Amino acid sequence: MTEDKILWTAQYVEGDLNEAERLEFENLLTHDEELKQYLADYYDIHSSLELELADDACRNALVGTLQDLNREHFTTEQNKVVKLSSYLRWVSGVAAVLVLGMLIWAPWKGDLYEQFNAAPQMNVAERGAEKTDLDEAATLFNGKKYNEAKVALAKLNCADPQNAMVAYYYGVSLMETNEVAKGRLLLEDLFKGESVYKYDAAYAVAMSYLKEDKKADTKFWLEKIPDSAVQYEKAQQLLKKL
Amino acid sequence: MPMTKKVHEDQRYATALLNNDAALINEIYKKCAGKVKSFVLFNNGNADDAADIFQEALVDIYNQAKYKNLELTCPFEPFLLLVCKRKWLNELKKRLIIPVTKNEEDLLHIGEDTFEQAEVLAQQREQSALFLKAFEKLGERCKEIIRWSMKGEAQEKVAETLGVTYGYLRKKKSECMASLVKLIDRKND
Repeated sequence: MTEDKILWTAQYVEGDLNEAERLEFENLLTHDEELKQYLADYYDIHSSLELELADDACRNALVGTLQDLNREHFTTEQNKVVKLSSYLRWVSGVAAVLVLGMLIWAPWKGDLYEQFNAAPQMNVAERGAEKTDLDEAATLFNGKKYNEAKVALAKLNCADPQNAMVAYYYGVSLMETNEVAKGRLLLEDLFKGESVYKYDAAYAVAMSYLKEDKKADTKFWLEKIPDSAVQYEKAQQLLKKL
Repeated sequence: MPMTKKVHEDQRYATALLNNDAALINEIYKKCAGKVKSFVLFNNGNADDAADIFQEALVDIYNQAKYKNLELTCPFEPFLLLVCKRKWLNELKKRLIIPVTKNEEDLLHIGEDTFEQAEVLAQQREQSALFLKAFEKLGERCKEIIRWSMKGEAQEKVAETLGVTYGYLRKKKSECMASLVKLIDRKND
């Protein structure tokens, strides 16, 4: 009987009882202390598991904020200074310049990325004189201040994870600020959905691979774009060059 | 937790964590980060340890506020400091280091409410870890069903993703959850 009550409680909470059974359960609940306890325990276990297993966009955004604040409040200046001998300093200086030069020149990357990655612009319809958080994020994003845009968009995404526009620009900002893996995950989810940003997301993921010169992955994502999509022409052009 | 107690005005800091309100969270750092850092540095830790502990404590408080209806009945600052101290002392125990600070000696001026609140937080954290362990013992299908339905998406969508009807999902989820409750029950006996 005890075990039945546990199952019964689960069925009650999950909406798996019919009307008559539900009324019977609620009736018993008014005087059966043991059943009351089972119900309280059920909610407790359920919320604990949610805490552990939820895909919590707000929590992820919070962790981002905390990491930024940690850098500001916990870093000690002495940790950062590393003494180098003058010779080493000279060599490493030259090396650093070389590396930087290579990164800017990037002969292995060709100019395909520059050519095909037209930085998207976030268009927000102006509704009134008052500037909303969304307007603010758009201004930052269009000004290519991706680090700041990312923080603003994380907040918006957290408040409304279903908003495809916010998710798309948040994903792009993540990829522009060295959080490529996280950005790709977000955009891949968007691609799986049916929003108007579906193929924008696919194209952006392709661009992120092109930037890393991963041709096979770039092709894989470009080929997902059907001829009905606006990005189709560009995708096909790029596919030919790869 | 007794429900009759008044919610403290510092509940706004818990709300700030829920809303990712960077300005107010920065205020928490300004008030508390320095204190946590000196405590950890004084007790065989470094600045990175202090940052980790601090972040973990704030995420714990977020979790409690979001999933466990945390109602703060004491001021936020001593609560957070106490949570951080306990976390660090536990960490030292794990590393087999005897702390310089005697356990509660320097905490004498902290109110009873604060101790209680920190205790509840620690208990709930332990408990959910325990529940998660029990969850891991379930069969693969049950784990899949529960994991998906806890993601925070609409249950209709979850059913679609798993390729089952909504009715079947409810039936299966209640069965799986009942098995889990029984597993947990047996452990506690």
